[in-house]
Amino acid sequence: MNAGVSLFWRQKKAVAGLVIIVTLCLMALFAPVIAPGDPSERVGRSHQPPTVEHYFGTTKMGRDVFAQFVWGARPSLAVGFATGLAITALGTIVGLVAGYFGGRTDATLDLATNAVLVIPNIPLLILLASFAGTVGPLAIMAIIALTSWPWGARMTRSQTMALRQREFVVAARMVGEPHWRVIFVEILPNLVPLIGINVVGSIIYAIVAQTTLEYLGFGDPLRVTWGTMLYNAQNSSAIMVGAWWDIAVPAAGIALVGLGLALINFTFDEIANPQLRSGPALSRWLRLTRLRRRQLEAAR
Amino acid sequence: MRLSRRRLAVYCVAFLFAIVMNFAVPRMMPGSPVDSMIAQLGPRATPAAIEAIKARFGAIEQPIWRQFVDYVVGLAHFDLGVSVKYYPQTVVEVLGRSAGWTAFLVFTAIVFSLCVGVLLGAVSAWRRGGRFDSFVSPFSVVLIAVPPVIIALATLFTFGVTLRLLPVGYAYDPSLDPGLNFTFFSSVFLHAVMPVLTLSPYLIGEFQTTMRSSMISVLGEDYVTMGRAKGLSEAAVMFGYAARNAMLPVLTNLALMLGAVFGGSIVTEIVFNYPGLGLTLYTASVARDYPVIQGQLLLMTIATLGANLLVDIIYGVVDPRIREGRA
Repeated sequence: MNAGVSLFWRQKKAVAGLVIIVTLCLMALFAPVIAPGDPSERVGRSHQPPTVEHYFGTTKMGRDVFAQFVWGARPSLAVGFATGLAITALGTIVGLVAGYFGGRTDATLDLATNAVLVIPNIPLLILLASFAGTVGPLAIMAIIALTSWPWGARMTRSQTMALRQREFVVAARMVGEPHWRVIFVEILPNLVPLIGINVVGSIIYAIVAQTTLEYLGFGDPLRVTWGTMLYNAQNSSAIMVGAWWDIAVPAAGIALVGLGLALINFTFDEIANPQLRSGPALSRWLRLTRLRRRQLEAAR
Repeated sequence: MRLSRRRLAVYCVAFLFAIVMNFAVPRMMPGSPVDSMIAQLGPRATPAAIEAIKARFGAIEQPIWRQFVDYVVGLAHFDLGVSVKYYPQTVVEVLGRSAGWTAFLVFTAIVFSLCVGVLLGAVSAWRRGGRFDSFVSPFSVVLIAVPPVIIALATLFTFGVTLRLLPVGYAYDPSLDPGLNFTFFSSVFLHAVMPVLTLSPYLIGEFQTTMRSSMISVLGEDYVTMGRAKGLSEAAVMFGYAARNAMLPVLTNLALMLGAVFGGSIVTEIVFNYPGLGLTLYTASVARDYPVIQGQLLLMTIATLGANLLVDIIYGVVDPRIREGRA
């Protein structure tokens, strides 16, 4: 456990990613302090370039882009994170159940997983969203979660199948522990790195999907989010009139979240899969394992 | 053929799932979409058109199973209904106009990124931990995480609006007549550059990551050591021995990613006003042209399933172990 944490901290990439994400979250949390007032209020003329008064310029409707950016981070991040967690929870449960019970349960669940996996997600999302009309954040969450759990389920299933054969799991079953206890107490803790990768990857996916849906106009246009900012900017042809700030600011926000999460995930990947590690990290890992072995020997 | 039997079951279930979604979603949603569609048809709403829409969306006195059977029989005859926006035209006609452009775009982007991504992945695995690897590998992870919307907007702004290097919108210069001549082809090429460049980063990132990790495990195999021991040149070992075998997981990944590629192409086509399926889907969703949206989902599902099947077949051809196992 400690080896993993310290490995994480020594990775410059992971720390950089964490700093980006924490900063954005703090900005969202303290939105009323950073940008007081209503972000949808008209405060200036249309399409003003960035000035001292309006750091990121104004939109076509004369709204302050900076205030919209700060306030828009709230729903964008909240929905992204919550959806990512929901996707992971669904995928992990399906994968655990399929991998642990095997047999017919596994065959059915695996079939469902692979089937949902090959159906193109975004067209399915658009079908659901267009029949639902304008959708609120909860509906967006549900739609994204229900269409994108199979990735995690596949990974979890194969790991669980491998773990099921291990001695400690077999022993627990022989002792007569109930299934739920074997699954959650014996198997689940071993899946933590995998679940970490899954959570981060799912959040990235959820933010991309959410932005795409809102950009296409399925979000509530009156709510200020990064996706609806892009939608409004596109509709007011901001790019064509050269109002780059109107598009670039929400785009940069989303790209930053993606970048931060990707950096974190890269490190998670290396912790879970030492084979992928490159040079310096690899020698660091070897040093760590050597250290741990020495500690074990000393303890004996 | 034991492999394909299981896969075929998956494809059948996926296809059935798409059909059931198309059938059930409009019937489950609160508020009937039928009225809004009829309202949209306006003066074009002939009794026949109203009847057709009602039958398709369940506003009709018939048991539900009967409706489903009729629906499936209709699909079997390529009857996807009529478009609401372009009324006398059927959905098949509307989609048929644009499917070719999307296929062209997606195919070009995949081939391009496959070349770039596999090469980058192979080289960064070969020089693991080197300067090349420690720049390219994190960069591809970032490429995967950036949404296509943003790449599309950035490309459009840089090359289309600021530098004015490349045309903005349409698949070819509308003043040209489509024909088999150089001017037309070069126009098609120029118009495809930005959309392809937008679709590629995600794909390149995915291919590079998959290729790198599979190449790393292949490099430990005996036959690679053997190739080196024979004194073959570095390039010969890298591409002839290692990369060839490391390609297989990349192929599997490609099949799984196709759905995401279609998602990316939707956004790309909208931003660049490219007349493919994505733009059609967008105009359909703005106009709430439900039959076209449904047809789109079905068509893209069929395309993805077909491509997966193709990859399954290619897999057998490329991997000698699978090929010999069958013989």
